[in-house]
Amino acid sequence: MVSSENTGFLYPFIEAEERDSGSLLGDLAASARDKAHESSALQLSTLAACAHDVLAAGDQMADRFAAGGRLYAFGNGGSSTDAATFAALFAQPVSGRPLPALNLAADQAVVTALGNDVGFELVFSRQIIAHSSSKDIAVAFSTSGNSADLLTALREASRRGLLTIGFAGYTGGEMGEAKEVDYCFVVRSQSIHRIQESQALLGYQLWASTQRDLARRTASLQATRPGGTA
Amino acid sequence: MPWDLRSVTMQTSPAPELDATAGITPDILDGGLADDLAAASLAIARRFHAGATMWCIAPKWEPHAHHMAVEFVHPVIVGKRALPALALTDPDIVAQARVSVRAGDIVIAVASADDPKVLDLMRRAPAWGALSVWIGSGARPPNGAADHVLWIDDANPLAPATGRFVLMYHLLWELTHVCFEHPGLLVEQPGDCTDEVCVTCSDEGRLAEVLLPPADSLGPALVRTAGGEEYIDVTLVAPVERDDLVLIHAGTALTRVGDQGW
Repeated sequence: MVSSENTGFLYPFIEAEERDSGSLLGDLAASARDKAHESSALQLSTLAACAHDVLAAGDQMADRFAAGGRLYAFGNGGSSTDAATFAALFAQPVSGRPLPALNLAADQAVVTALGNDVGFELVFSRQIIAHSSSKDIAVAFSTSGNSADLLTALREASRRGLLTIGFAGYTGGEMGEAKEVDYCFVVRSQSIHRIQESQALLGYQLWASTQRDLARRTASLQATRPGGTA
Repeated sequence: MPWDLRSVTMQTSPAPELDATAGITPDILDGGLADDLAAASLAIARRFHAGATMWCIAPKWEPHAHHMAVEFVHPVIVGKRALPALALTDPDIVAQARVSVRAGDIVIAVASADDPKVLDLMRRAPAWGALSVWIGSGARPPNGAADHVLWIDDANPLAPATGRFVLMYHLLWELTHVCFEHPGLLVEQPGDCTDEVCVTCSDEGRLAEVLLPPADSLGPALVRTAGGEEYIDVTLVAPVERDDLVLIHAGTALTRVGDQGW
C-alpha cells in the first residue's frame, strides 16, 4: 500500500486548467528517488534482521535438495509472480546449480479445476498433497501473512514433513505466528510494494545461501573421493 | 590435478557467507533514471486516459509480465482505478502483439537489450501506433529503441531476481496514478512538441508494416500505420512481403526498415 503521508506536495494544483507539466515531472522524479531510497533502507534493515534465519533456512534447504527434494513456491496475485521468479531462480539459475523448483500457480488447468471443484482455499494444499514427499520444501509468498490458501497449504506441508518457509509483511500476520511455519521472513512495512521489493531480495539471498551450502557439500564430497585433494 | 566435481555443476563459486548489502542500491535512481520514470509515467497516464490497453511482455522472465499486468489491473490500494493491462506470453510474442495491439495502446517490456524478440517488437511499435516502454539492466538498447527506456546500469545477470525490476514497475504504477490527479496534464499540450520537425505530428517518414503485398508488380500494398490502414505505392522498395517494415511519405514507401534499425 502506498502511504498517503508526505505526498501532499505532489498535488499543488488539482484544477483541470493545469497545463505546464514541468513541475509535475520534477515532483514525480523526486518522489521516485525517495521511494527507491525507502525501498533500499527497508531491504537493508530486513536483511539485517533475517540474516541468521536466511543462513539457517538455506542450510536446511540444501539438506533437502541434496536428499533429492523438490521446492514448491506459491502465492496470490503479484506474490504469485514473485513465487514464480523465486522458483525460476532455483530451476534455471544464471550461475550455480539448477535445482528442482515449481511454481504451483503455473498450471491454469490445475488452478481452475481445484478452485472450481474444491474451493480456492485448497488450490495449493491439494497440489502439496498430490505431489510432495517429506524431503520437499514449501515456500509461500504473502504480504499480509493472512491468506487462507497459503496458510492451509503450509499447514498441510508441515503435516507431511516438508520444510515450510513463509514470506510475509506488516507484522507477519497469522503466518508469522503459525507453529507449522519453520521459517517466516517478515518484512516490517505497511507498503505492499516495498514489502515485495524486500521479499525479492530475501528470496535471492535464500537462493544464494542454499547454493553456498550445496557448493560446500560438493567440495567436501570431492575431498573424500579417491584421488581427491584430502 | 584432481578432478574438480564443482566444474560439472558450478559455473561460478558463490561467496562463502551472506553479504547483507548485496543487491541493495539506494542510489539506483539518482542519475537520470528518476526523470526517465517521471516522463514515462506521464506518457502512460495520458495513453490510459485516452483509452489505451497496456500489453506487458517479458519473454525471458514471464513472471514480470504477469506482475506488471496484475499491478495495473488489480491495484493494491482500494479505490485506485483498475486499468486495462494484460500479459502477453506466447512464444511468438511478435505475432501475438501484432494481433493484440491497437493504435493508441502501450507496449511495455522487461528484457535485456539483446533480446531479439523485444528488439523486433519495439521496432514495430510505431507502426502499430503503440507507446513503447522498455525496462532492463546491463548494456543499454540502441538509442531510440523505444519511446521510453528505463535502464538500470548494473551488469549483474541476477538483477532480474533481486527486486529491482519489481521496484521499477511499482514506481511506474505509483507515479502513473499521481498523474491522474492532474487532469489538465493528461492531454498532450501543443507546446509539448518542441522539435523543429515533429515526426509525431507530421507526415514525415511514418513507419508502416505491410499487411498485404501488391497483387501485381505495379499495384499498391496495404499497410498498417499509427493512423490506420492505407494503400501505398511500394515500387521504390519492391518486392515487399507481409510484415515488412517500410518508411512512408506522402503515400509512398521510401525505404525499407531492416533488422538493423533505420
